[in-house]
Amino acid sequence: MAEESYRRFLDPVVVSKLATMELRARLVVEGFVTGLHRSPYKGFSVEFAEHRQYMPGDPLKHIDWKVYGKTDRLYIKEYEEETNLRGHVLLDASASMAYTSGGISKLEYGRYLAAALIYLMLKQQDSVGLLVFDEAVREFIPPRSNPRQLHLLLSELDRAGPSSETDIGLVLHELARRIKRRGLVILISDLLDDPQDVLPGLKHFRHLKHEVIVFHVLDPRETEFGFDADATFRDMETGELMTTEPFSIRRDYVEAVDRWMTHLRRECGESRIDYVPIQTSTPYDRALFSYLEKRKRLG
Amino acid sequence: MGLTFLNGAFLIAALAALVPIVIHLISRRRVETIDFSSLRFLKELERKRIRRVRLRQILLLIIRSLILLAVALALARPTLRGRFAGGAGAHAKTSVAIVLDESASMSRRIDGDDLFTQAVAVGERIADLLDEGDQAFLVTAGAPPVSVLADGTYSPDALREALGGLAVSAAATDYPEAIDSALGLLRGSRNLNREIYVVGDLQRTGWIGSAREDAGPRSDAAPAADPTGGATGGDDPADAASEPGDVPAVRGYLIPLTGPEGNLGVVGVEVARKHGGTAGLFSFSSEVRNWSRRSVEMPVKLFVDGVQVGQAGVELEPGAAGTARFAAAVDESKWHAGWIELPDDALPTDNRRYFTIPPARRVEILVVRPDGEDPRDDAYYLVRALDPAGDGMRFAPAVVEASALGSQERRRFPVAVLADVGRLDRAGERWIEEHVEDGGGLLIVLGSRTDMRYWNAELLPGLLGATLRGLVERPAGVRLAPSAVGHPLLSGLVVGERLIDDVSVRRAFDVEANLREDVLELPGLGPVLVLGRTDGGGEVAALLTGVDPTWSDLPQSGFLVPLVHRLVGRLEGGHARASRTLVGEDLFVPIEETARGRIDVELPGGGTAIAEARAVGRRGAVLAGVREPGIYRFAIDAVPIALGAVNVDPRESDLAPVAAAEIEGLGGDVKLTVVSPDRPLEEEVLEARHGRELWRLFVYAALVLIALEMLLARSRLI
Repeated sequence: MAEESYRRFLDPVVVSKLATMELRARLVVEGFVTGLHRSPYKGFSVEFAEHRQYMPGDPLKHIDWKVYGKTDRLYIKEYEEETNLRGHVLLDASASMAYTSGGISKLEYGRYLAAALIYLMLKQQDSVGLLVFDEAVREFIPPRSNPRQLHLLLSELDRAGPSSETDIGLVLHELARRIKRRGLVILISDLLDDPQDVLPGLKHFRHLKHEVIVFHVLDPRETEFGFDADATFRDMETGELMTTEPFSIRRDYVEAVDRWMTHLRRECGESRIDYVPIQTSTPYDRALFSYLEKRKRLG
Repeated sequence: MGLTFLNGAFLIAALAALVPIVIHLISRRRVETIDFSSLRFLKELERKRIRRVRLRQILLLIIRSLILLAVALALARPTLRGRFAGGAGAHAKTSVAIVLDESASMSRRIDGDDLFTQAVAVGERIADLLDEGDQAFLVTAGAPPVSVLADGTYSPDALREALGGLAVSAAATDYPEAIDSALGLLRGSRNLNREIYVVGDLQRTGWIGSAREDAGPRSDAAPAADPTGGATGGDDPADAASEPGDVPAVRGYLIPLTGPEGNLGVVGVEVARKHGGTAGLFSFSSEVRNWSRRSVEMPVKLFVDGVQVGQAGVELEPGAAGTARFAAAVDESKWHAGWIELPDDALPTDNRRYFTIPPARRVEILVVRPDGEDPRDDAYYLVRALDPAGDGMRFAPAVVEASALGSQERRRFPVAVLADVGRLDRAGERWIEEHVEDGGGLLIVLGSRTDMRYWNAELLPGLLGATLRGLVERPAGVRLAPSAVGHPLLSGLVVGERLIDDVSVRRAFDVEANLREDVLELPGLGPVLVLGRTDGGGEVAALLTGVDPTWSDLPQSGFLVPLVHRLVGRLEGGHARASRTLVGEDLFVPIEETARGRIDVELPGGGTAIAEARAVGRRGAVLAGVREPGIYRFAIDAVPIALGAVNVDPRESDLAPVAAAEIEGLGGDVKLTVVSPDRPLEEEVLEARHGRELWRLFVYAALVLIALEMLLARSRLI
């Protein structure tokens, strides 16, 4: 398949039309990988993979001095990475995640993103687990790296549908207590909960030396509040109603959302948590890049 | 103090103020429910912003309703009326129409000044009362009234200039018509204050005896032609006086100017050819009247062709009329003009009465008799009366049967006589209609064969505005006596204390005739002769008793010949007609059929004009709307062809002003207030003129509200 054909699978709408979760995960990752100039699977581990020319900035310890002696040129030795990373993908499946302004819902986006991440991580020989939650933990599959894990996790993602209210703080605290070995925690959520509850949960992971990436998934309408006529809004989690004139309050609403996201970003930054705000229209490669950056730092 | 609305109909538009509220309620009901991920942020805003939005929505709703309400109220032109509404010296916009009397009676002199000059001075004082933006009209009261400032002026100086351009005329006064014209002009104005000022001597005959009054009671009178070209239209003046529920009624002010009321005037002159005497011998009968409060003995002079040819003394009691009679011989081969003259008095205009005498000529008369053989019918006697000598020197009668009337040549006969014709066929009816429309004269003699129902249905209403009611019979006969016969037509037919011959009438038709017609009436019998003018300018006479021995003594009487000659002579449109024209009317003079070319007219004052030739009925020349009394000389290529006499309306001679008790009913719906010319006008006028229109205030309010609405709708102040 041509590179361009693969890359279209980074579009959430295109992905949503694919038949199975595995296909979705595979095509997203393949689409993402074809855009990279080097394999994401190559690292610096024990199993040699290939030589490549030294580039300024490469650590001197990886220079193959034998080759230098023979050829008088500097080459770097690259190895197939051998990892013992334990990743946990946390997917918020509360009712608010079902919101969509027309394209795909936040939950769908989150499911496909989770699937792509899981696929990518398993391809890198990492062990990956999955946790689907709303106000409590609905499903928890501990991390493994065996070949059956992919099928198991993707099947679970396939089943994950919206349910009731959310209580992220509680869930994070509970999970932090469960996960003993430190590893990578990836949270996919709209974070529509009180930041005073969410942030302590995330910081709890950091306290336990986990690395944390937060994919903050929002629908464009949730940030722009692009409604015209007067309307009565019904809370998808509580069923509460409120009538207002969107035109008049849009500016204030957008400001409030900005303040909220800025607060989250700042707090995450202070705790060295990667905070990645994405919208349901955002191509998946952005999220995957964020993951790879993090993964690289974990070396 | 009270609030009125000049455009009350627009108040219904105030309901538009409900429109925003209705829209708001409807749109509230239709509001869409949207599932949203979380109301977390909306709830945060609820505490401050959304409450403000609701408050703003309510404020906008109120402002929008108020805008529509203010616009509707501005359109309805609310007006605060009352003493304190306008503040000192201020008044709402005002339209003023000055009806200024420039009629003949205004030429009266008092203290070295004439009344007209005083009237103009009053007009200038009215101009002083005008503020910027006030509108003024000027209408003259002399018949026919003329709108000098028909479009109105907003400049007091233009009004003063128009007043300065007026001059006293010789016209009669017609206050009702002038007020109607003024009302018509004011009708177009939507100003709060609308005022009519009638400035003049308020001559009683100018109100009560005006042409309008003659036509019938004021409220029923059909409006006369509008001199402004349509401002009054066909509307009842009452409509103009007050708009239904909107603009307040027009206020009227009478400003009477008083002068000497004692006046002597010549009110009529009849010139008749004397019969049975020398050819060219004429009798002159002149009626003079004394309107002063003292007995007067005065000389009355007769002038013919500028030369005094007679003088008579007349003694008149206060308020009485008398007749001065003269006889004079003139050359009958040419035109003559003259006048009757009284000594000078306060009003010189009516001290002369002009007349003309046309040259004698042979006139063909068509006498129509009933079909069938009757050797002694009315036509038999009438033909002998018209042409006693049988030589056709003055009148040449041609007799035809009724059925042959339609085929007669119309132009040939200036006068037609229907001698006891029972009915006419369609062609005959058409002949008569066209003859009369063209200005031809018509004598109808009713008698035994008259089909009353036919005449009432087909001819009389159209020709004379009269209908026959039945037959009155007095077998013993009613005598025509000098005391009973005061009609000018019979002047000169009285010898001493008796008529030239005894005549008794035994049967006559009872007629219902329009009061405007000239009626010769016999006490105990009723009218025997009705005379009327036709639209074509000719005259129609109806003799209501047959020229038949069973109806009256006329056939055997020596009175028949002069009566028929007088009557037919008048219908022929000869000298009498040329002398009956009054100032303001069209002057008609008969001219020869052969006369061709431009007809120049030398006016009495020395000016010239061009007359219009009228080739109808009989050939004549018409000068429209004559304005000067005196002798008019008609000529083609400097060759004199005819003379015409124009006189002042005799009603103008009665200088008595209208009585205070009569004023109330004169203005129709316009309430007339008498203001002495010696009192400051401001006291009367400005006090009533107070008032303030508020529509601007509402427009400003609407603009401020619109600005507020825009600010509120687009800003984030709230």
